[in-house]
Amino acid sequence: MKVDLYNYIKAAQKINRRQMLKGTAAVGAVAMMPKAAAYADGHGNVRAEILKIPGVGAGSPTDSDWQKVGEMCLGATKENVAEGEFAGVELTFMGLNNQNLHNFLFRGFLKPWEAYTGAKINWIDLAQADYNARLQQSIATGTVDFDIIEMGAPFEGDVLGRGMASEMPDWVKDQIDMDDYVDYLKAPVGTWDGKTYRVSIDGDTHTFAYRKDYYENEEFAQAWADAGNTTPWAQPTTWEEVNAQSKFLVGKTDPLTGLDAHGYLDPLKGWGGFGFYFLENRAAPYAKHPDDPAWLFDPDTMKPRVNNPAFVQAIQDVMDLIAADAYPADQINADPGTTAFQQFLAGTGGMLNWWGDVGSSARTSDTSVVGDVVGFDINPGSAKVWNSQTGAWEETPNVSPNNAYIGWGIYVMATVDGDEKKKKAAWSAAAHLGGKDLSLWASAYPSGFQPYRNSHFQYDEWEEAGYDRAFVEDYLSSNADSYNHPNAAIEPRIPGIFQYYSVAEDELAKGYAGQYGSAQETADAIAAAWEKITDQIGRDSQIALYKASLGL
Amino acid sequence: MSTEGDLLHTVTADTITDTRRRVGRAMVWGAGMLFCVMTAMQFMYDTDRSIVGFNTWRPVLFAYLLWATALCAAQVIVNGEKGKRTLFVLPAALFVISLVVFPLLFALYVSFTDWNLASLNGPQPNGWDNMRQMWGDAFYWNALKNMVYYVLAVSVEYVIAFGLALLLNAQIRARKFFRVVFLLPLMLSPVAVSWMVGKSMLEVRFGPVSRLVRELGFEPSFFGTPEMARFMIMAMDAWTFIPFMMIMLLAGLQALPREVIEASKVDGATGWQSFKEVIFPLMLPVSVTAIVIRIIFKLKLADIIINVTSGGPGGATDSVTSFIFREYRDRSNVGYGTLLAMVYLVLIVIFITALLKLVSRWMERPA
Repeated sequence: MKVDLYNYIKAAQKINRRQMLKGTAAVGAVAMMPKAAAYADGHGNVRAEILKIPGVGAGSPTDSDWQKVGEMCLGATKENVAEGEFAGVELTFMGLNNQNLHNFLFRGFLKPWEAYTGAKINWIDLAQADYNARLQQSIATGTVDFDIIEMGAPFEGDVLGRGMASEMPDWVKDQIDMDDYVDYLKAPVGTWDGKTYRVSIDGDTHTFAYRKDYYENEEFAQAWADAGNTTPWAQPTTWEEVNAQSKFLVGKTDPLTGLDAHGYLDPLKGWGGFGFYFLENRAAPYAKHPDDPAWLFDPDTMKPRVNNPAFVQAIQDVMDLIAADAYPADQINADPGTTAFQQFLAGTGGMLNWWGDVGSSARTSDTSVVGDVVGFDINPGSAKVWNSQTGAWEETPNVSPNNAYIGWGIYVMATVDGDEKKKKAAWSAAAHLGGKDLSLWASAYPSGFQPYRNSHFQYDEWEEAGYDRAFVEDYLSSNADSYNHPNAAIEPRIPGIFQYYSVAEDELAKGYAGQYGSAQETADAIAAAWEKITDQIGRDSQIALYKASLGL
Repeated sequence: MSTEGDLLHTVTADTITDTRRRVGRAMVWGAGMLFCVMTAMQFMYDTDRSIVGFNTWRPVLFAYLLWATALCAAQVIVNGEKGKRTLFVLPAALFVISLVVFPLLFALYVSFTDWNLASLNGPQPNGWDNMRQMWGDAFYWNALKNMVYYVLAVSVEYVIAFGLALLLNAQIRARKFFRVVFLLPLMLSPVAVSWMVGKSMLEVRFGPVSRLVRELGFEPSFFGTPEMARFMIMAMDAWTFIPFMMIMLLAGLQALPREVIEASKVDGATGWQSFKEVIFPLMLPVSVTAIVIRIIFKLKLADIIINVTSGGPGGATDSVTSFIFREYRDRSNVGYGTLLAMVYLVLIVIFITALLKLVSRWMERPA
C-alpha cells in the first residue's frame, strides 16, 4: 500500500491509539476463531497473522516487522528449497529506495530467506530519478551488474525484447499462484514471445476522482436543468459529459471553497513523458476498440494512431475547454502533479484522473480540503469508438480505463542462466517477494505497492485487520474494476515508450498554446515525431516487439 | 660536468649516452605503436571488419596508460634532470588531455551517430542526418531564439547590479548586513529558487504574490502567456545572479583609486558627472568581465526552466540546455542530443570570442 493511502485510512477512520489497540486485539481474537481460519486456500491463518504486524494504525512498520513477515511467509519457499541449499550463492539486487521503502522492505523480507537458504544478497539502491538512466545505460553499454531487478512493465520492451532476462521456471509460477493476478497483469504483461518473465509485486491504473458535493448541490442541478440539459446532474460517465459539465461550470462558484468552480482538470504541461497518460485517459475510450488489442500504433507497420480521429477528438476536447476558458488560471503551466495536489486536493476543480495516491492524500495532506467530498470510479467512457480496421466511427458506447504504468515487478536477469544453483536462488528470492501472502501484507501496509491480486480485494480480510469497510470498498473497487476491465487500455511495452510520450508532450504543449492550427495539426506533428523515433530505434524490431507485447 | 646550457636551474648535470636516448625513444614509440595498433584493431573489431579484438575497450585504455607511463619515464631517460622538471607538469597534462580531449572526440563521434539508448543496434554512424534534423528542428531554433532574449536580459541585470553595488559601496547604515543579505539569493540553488519562488510564491491560488496581485484587483497569471512566462523566468534567474554581478562590481568599486574620485570632487564635479566621467570608465574592465561571465552562466540556463515551466507555454521559455535535457533524459536520444550540444558549444565559443574581441578595447583601464 502507498504510504499516503495508509495514512489516509488512519485519518479517515479517526482512530486513536486505544481504539487501535482494541482493534488489534480484536483482530488477534478473530484470528483465533474458526472463521478466520476458514479461508479455503490454507493460507488463512498466516494471512490473518501477518496482518497483525504491527497492527493497522500502530505506527509505521519497521525492519523487524518486515523480517517477521518475511519469516512467516517462508512456507512456500520451504516447499521448493531445502535448508541451506543456496549456501555460497551471492546475488545482486537492483531496486529503488523511494520513501525508504522498496529495497528497504525487500531487505527485511529476504533476510529470513537468506538465513534459511544460505544465499547472500548484495543491494544496489537507486533513487527514482536515477533509475531510468541507470537501467538504460546498463542495457546500452552491456554492463548488467545485477542478477535481480525491480522494474516497471513499460521497460519490458527494453529488457525482455533484448533477451536480457531469465525465463520463469514452472515451479515459480506454481509457488506465486499467477492465476490470482488481476486480469490486466496476466499475459501478455510479464511475458515476451510466449515466455513468462515477471513476478508482479504491484499494480497501477488511473481512476476517476470527482467531487461528490458538486452533484449534491441543488443550485448546480437547477442551473444544469435550466440550461436545457436533459441528462441528470450527476457524476459523468462519458468524456462528452465531462466536457459539457466543465463548460457548464464556467462562472459558477465552488460550493466548498467559495472560489471559482471548475470542471475536469487536464494537465496542459509535460511531465517527463508521464503527462501523456492524461491525454490517453481521454483518448482510450475513443481509440481502444474492444475487438482490437492495439490502440497507439498499427501493429503491422508501427504507423502511429495518435493522429487518427479518436486521438484528434481527445485533443480537440481539451482545446475546446481551453477555448471555453474552463480551466483555472495558468493551467497551461500545470503538470499532472499540479492538477492533483495543488488544484484538486486544494478544492480547485471538480474532476481529475490520477493513480492511487490522490485519494489517499485527500485527508492527510495539509492543503487538502476535499477529504469528505471526494468519490472514485473507473475512467469515463465515450459515446462512440473509432474502429481502425474499418476506418470509421461506431456509435456505440465504449469504456476503456487506462492502466497507466502497469506497476512494479521483479525480474531475474539472464546473467544467472549459466549457473543452475544461482538461477534457482534468484527465482526463489523473486518468488518470495511476489508470494501470495506476503503481497497481501504489502498491500495493506506502507510499502509503495498497490493491491494487484484478486485475493487482495477480499474486503473481509481488510475489515478484520482493522480497516474501514466503506472506504476500502469505495476506493479500492475503482482500482479493481479498472484492473479487470475487459477493454482496459494497456501500456505498449516497447523499447523507448517514454520517448514517444515525451515528444508528444512537447508537441501537445505547442498545440495547447495555439501554435498549431488545429487538433489535427497537433496530432500530425506528434505522429511525425513518433515515426522518427520508430525509425531511429528500428522499425522492424519495434513492429516485432510491439506485436510480442500485445501477445499477437 | 657540462659548462653549457641552463646552469642557473641545473642541480646535477647528466651524462646521457646515445644508447640511453635510444632506449627512451624506443619506449615511447614502442608503447605508442602498441596503443595505435590496439586502437585500430579494436575499432576494426567493433565495426565488424575484423574478428580479432577484445570484448571491451579496456585493454586499449591500459595500452594508453602504458604509453603515458613510458612517455613520462622517457623524459627522465632521455633528458635527465630537465626531464624530471617536465614530470612536474606532464602527468597532469596527460590527465587533462585524457579527461577533456578523449571525451570531446568521443562526443564528436557520437554526435554523428543515430545512438538512441532504446535502440537494439547501438550507435550507428548516420552521416549528416542529425545536422539535417537540427536544421529543421523548430524546437531547437526556438530555444536559440529564446537564448537571445535571455542574454539580452543581462544588460538590465547589469544596470541593477551596478546600482546595488554603488549603494553598498556608499556610507550607509548596516552596510555589512545588507551585503550579506543581498548575497543570499546567490547562495541558493536555482532548483530551490524554482520551487520556493516559481512553484510556491507564484503559485496562482495560494502563492503570497498571487494573493497580493488578487488583492490589488488583478487576476494573477504568471506563466499563462509566452511573454509573461519568459519574463518571470528572466526575473527569477536575475534574482539569483544579480548578486554575483553586484559583488564583482562592488569589489571593483572598492579597488578604485580614491584620489581620482576625490580629485574630481575638488574639480567641482557633481555626483552624476563624477560617476559618468570617472567611476564608470574606470569600472569598464570589471564591468565587461562581470557581463561576460554572467553571459556564460546565462547560456547554461536550464534548471529553473526545467522545474517551473518545462519550456512552456508552447516552448516560449525553452533554453537550449533545457531542450537538450529533454532530448537526453526523457528521450534517451544520445546521438542527436550530443550533436545539439556540440553545435551549441561551437556557437558559444564563436560568440564569446567575438564578444571578447569586441570589448577588448574597454578591458584595459584608461591610463
